[in-house]
Amino acid sequence: MTSPSQLAQAAERPVRAVRPRSGRRSPRHRRHGLIALLFLFPLLLFYGTYYIYSFVFLARVSRQQVSLSFVDAVDVGWQNFRLVATDTLFQHAVINNLIFAAVSIAAALTIGFVAAMMLATGVRLHRTLYVILLLPSLIPLSLFATIFGKMLGTQYGAFNGLLRGVGLSGLQQDWLGQSNTAYAAVAVLLIYLIGLPIMYYRSDIESVNLSLVEAAVLDGAGTWRVFRSLLFPLLRNTHKTVVLSVLLGSFRAFDVIFFSTNGAPSGQTSITGTYIYNKTLAGTTVGYASAAALLLLLIAFVISAVQLVLMRRESR
Amino acid sequence: MRTRKTRPLVLASGLLGAAMVVSACGNSGGVGGTSAAGQATVTAGQTVTLQYETWYPDQATLQKAVDGFEAANPTIKINLRVLKSQDFQKQLPLQLNGGESLDVVGVQVSAMTNTVRSQLRTVDSYAADLGADWKSKLDPGLLAQAQNAASDKTLYDIPMGGVASAYMFYNNKILTQAGVTTPPKTFEELAADISKIQKSDPAVTTPVAFSGEAWWQEEMLFTFAGQKYPTLSDSIIHGDASWNQPQVIDSLNQYKRLFSVGGVQSSVLSLSGGDPDSLFYSGKAAFLIGGSWEASVLSSSFRAQNSIANDDWGAAAVPVADGGQPAVRTLAEGGLAIPKSSKYPAQAAKFISYMTSGAGVDLWNQNLAYVPVAKTGWQPPASVLTTQAARDGLQQMSALAAQQGSERDSQQDFLNNVEGPAILAVLRGTQSPQDAAASLQTQWTSGRYPHGAAK
Repeated sequence: MTSPSQLAQAAERPVRAVRPRSGRRSPRHRRHGLIALLFLFPLLLFYGTYYIYSFVFLARVSRQQVSLSFVDAVDVGWQNFRLVATDTLFQHAVINNLIFAAVSIAAALTIGFVAAMMLATGVRLHRTLYVILLLPSLIPLSLFATIFGKMLGTQYGAFNGLLRGVGLSGLQQDWLGQSNTAYAAVAVLLIYLIGLPIMYYRSDIESVNLSLVEAAVLDGAGTWRVFRSLLFPLLRNTHKTVVLSVLLGSFRAFDVIFFSTNGAPSGQTSITGTYIYNKTLAGTTVGYASAAALLLLLIAFVISAVQLVLMRRESR
Repeated sequence: MRTRKTRPLVLASGLLGAAMVVSACGNSGGVGGTSAAGQATVTAGQTVTLQYETWYPDQATLQKAVDGFEAANPTIKINLRVLKSQDFQKQLPLQLNGGESLDVVGVQVSAMTNTVRSQLRTVDSYAADLGADWKSKLDPGLLAQAQNAASDKTLYDIPMGGVASAYMFYNNKILTQAGVTTPPKTFEELAADISKIQKSDPAVTTPVAFSGEAWWQEEMLFTFAGQKYPTLSDSIIHGDASWNQPQVIDSLNQYKRLFSVGGVQSSVLSLSGGDPDSLFYSGKAAFLIGGSWEASVLSSSFRAQNSIANDDWGAAAVPVADGGQPAVRTLAEGGLAIPKSSKYPAQAAKFISYMTSGAGVDLWNQNLAYVPVAKTGWQPPASVLTTQAARDGLQQMSALAAQQGSERDSQQDFLNNVEGPAILAVLRGTQSPQDAAASLQTQWTSGRYPHGAAK
C-alpha cells in the first residue's frame, strides 16, 4: 500500500537534465547559446546600465553630506553608514520588516494555502470568492491602505463607528495610538493581501495528479490528512515561490505602511521604506538616506543568501 | 565550488562592491553652485514671459496678484505654477540643479533656504531693480529672519510675510449659543466652555480640533513652553541649550494637561491632514488650534470661495497652561527668490517688488495667508473682515506676533522622525516626559540631525 507521503515524494522527485559526459558543449549547443545571448543582449545592456549607474550613484552619495540639490557635497567617509547602523530607529524599522514579512508568509502558507485548496474543490461561488480574495492585491495599494487607515480613525473611523452602532462602545480603541493594536492593524492589512499567493497555489494545484488524491482517499485519508500529508508537500515548489515573493514584497511594502499607519504610534510601525523616504524628504540628508538604502540592500542580500543556502541543503 | 543558485548573488554583491570602490575613487566633493546667467537683452515693447513656481498661497489667490501685475506691466507675462508643499520641497532643488529656467520661485524660509540657496541669486545682486529704498519699506525683523535662515547668513529671498503659531480659532456662533461670551484664557476656562458647548450643541462632537501629526506637536509644545519660557525654542534649535532640561520637561507636562485639565479629547491625536479644518468648518468642532495660515477663515472671500456658510469666526491666543503669558512663535515665510538660471532678473525683481511692497499685497492677501512683510502697517480691505469677532481676532493675532518670542524654526528631519513621535508618546502615556526629554537629547546630539552652527 502506498502512503500519501510516498506519493508526494514520487510526484516531486526532480528530473535531472541529461548533460554530455565529457562536460563540453556540442557545437549545436554553443550556437544556441550565442543566439540566446544575442537576443538577451539589449535587455542585459538596459539592466546593466541601470544597475551600474544606480549602484555607483548610491555608493558615491552615501559617503557624502549632501542635500536634494546635490551641490556643495561634503565627503564624510563612512560616517553615514556608522550613523545609520547605530540608529535605533533604523534597527527598529529592519525588525519591523522582518516581523511583517513573517506575518505575510505565515498567512500565505496557512490561510492562503487552505483558501486556494477550498476554491480548487469547486465549492459554490468559488469564482466570486476567488475574485473577492484576489481583489485587494490588484487595486492600488496606496488607495487600499489609505481607506484602511481612515477606517481606523478613533472618533470618525468605520471600525469604532461599527462598534458604537452595535452597542459595543466599550470595545472602541485608539487603533493607531497603541503599539499592539497598530501592529494588529498592519497584520490584518497584510493578511488581506494574500490574493497573489492564492493565485500561485490555484494555478499550481491544477498540475497535481488527481489520481494521487483519489488513491489517498481510497486508502482512507481524511480531508485534513490529504491537505497536510499530500497536497502541502506536493506544492513544495509553490511554497518556495510564495515565500520568496512575499519576503521580497515585504521589503517593498512602503505604500502599505505609509498610507495606513504612517509609522503610528510614534514610529512604532515604521519600516525601512518609510525610514528612507523620511530621510530623503528631509532634504538635507540625502547621503544619509543613500547609506540606509545600501545597508538595506546588503540585508536583503544576506537574507537571500541564507534562503539560497537553505534551499540548496533541502534539495540535496 | 559555487553553485548556479548562488552565482547571481555573488555577481550582484561584486557589482555593489565595485560600485563602492569606484565611488570612493571618484571626486566626492560634489558640484559647486553654478554661475548666474546674464540678463537677456529686451528691446522696447518686447514681451517677456516669466516662469513663477511656488507652493502657497493657492493658485486662484496668486493669480489675482499676477493678473494685477500683468495689467500694470503689459510687457511682462507670468506663467504661474503652484505645487503641493511637500512636492515642491523635493522638486524645486532638482529643477534648479537640472538647469530648468525659472525666473521667480517660492522658498520655504525654514525648510528650503539651505537646500536651494546655491542656485539662487543673492538679493544684493538685483537690489537696484527692486526700486529705491526697497529695504525701508519692509519689516526689518522678517528680512533678518530670512537672512539668518541661510547658513552663510546671506539674503537670498524676500519673504512675502510672516507666519506664526499656534492660535486658537473659534466658531463664534457656537460659543454664543452656549453662553460663552469670550474665548477661554486658561485651561480651566477651556474645560468649562467645552462642557457648556457640549450641553448646548450635540452636533459638536470634537469641541477642540488640531492635528495629531508629528510635525504639529512641536508647534503645540513650544506654544505652551513660550508662555513661561519665551526663548526656550530659540535656545534649543540654535544649539545653545539641551532638550533634557527642566523647562522642556515642564512644557511636556503642560501640554499633557491640555487633556487632563483642559478637557480636550485624546482622540484628537488621530486627526490628520485636512481633518481638523473639516471638523471646524462643518461645525463639529467649536475651536481649531492652528497656525496663522488658518486666519483665512476670518476672510469673507475665503469663505465664499470654499462655500463656508457660517460667517462668524474669531481668533484668540491659545489658553495659558499654568501661569505665564500667551505666546506664539513667528517666522518669515513665503520667500520670493530669483534663480541663477533666470535670464530676466530685472523683470523678476520688479515682480517681487510688486508682491512684497507694492499693490500686489492687497490682492494676494485677501485670504489672510500671511502677515505681510510690508512695513506700512498693512490692514486688509474693509470687505475682508465683516464681523467684530474677525476684526478683533486679526488684531489680537497681530499683537501676539509682534511680541518678542522665539522664531518658528525647526530641524525638520528631527521634528518628523524623533521629536513629534516622542511628544505623542508622552501625550499617550507610553513614555514619561523625563524619558522623552532624555531620548530627544540623545538623538539631538547623535550627529544625525545637524543644527545650530552645523546646519
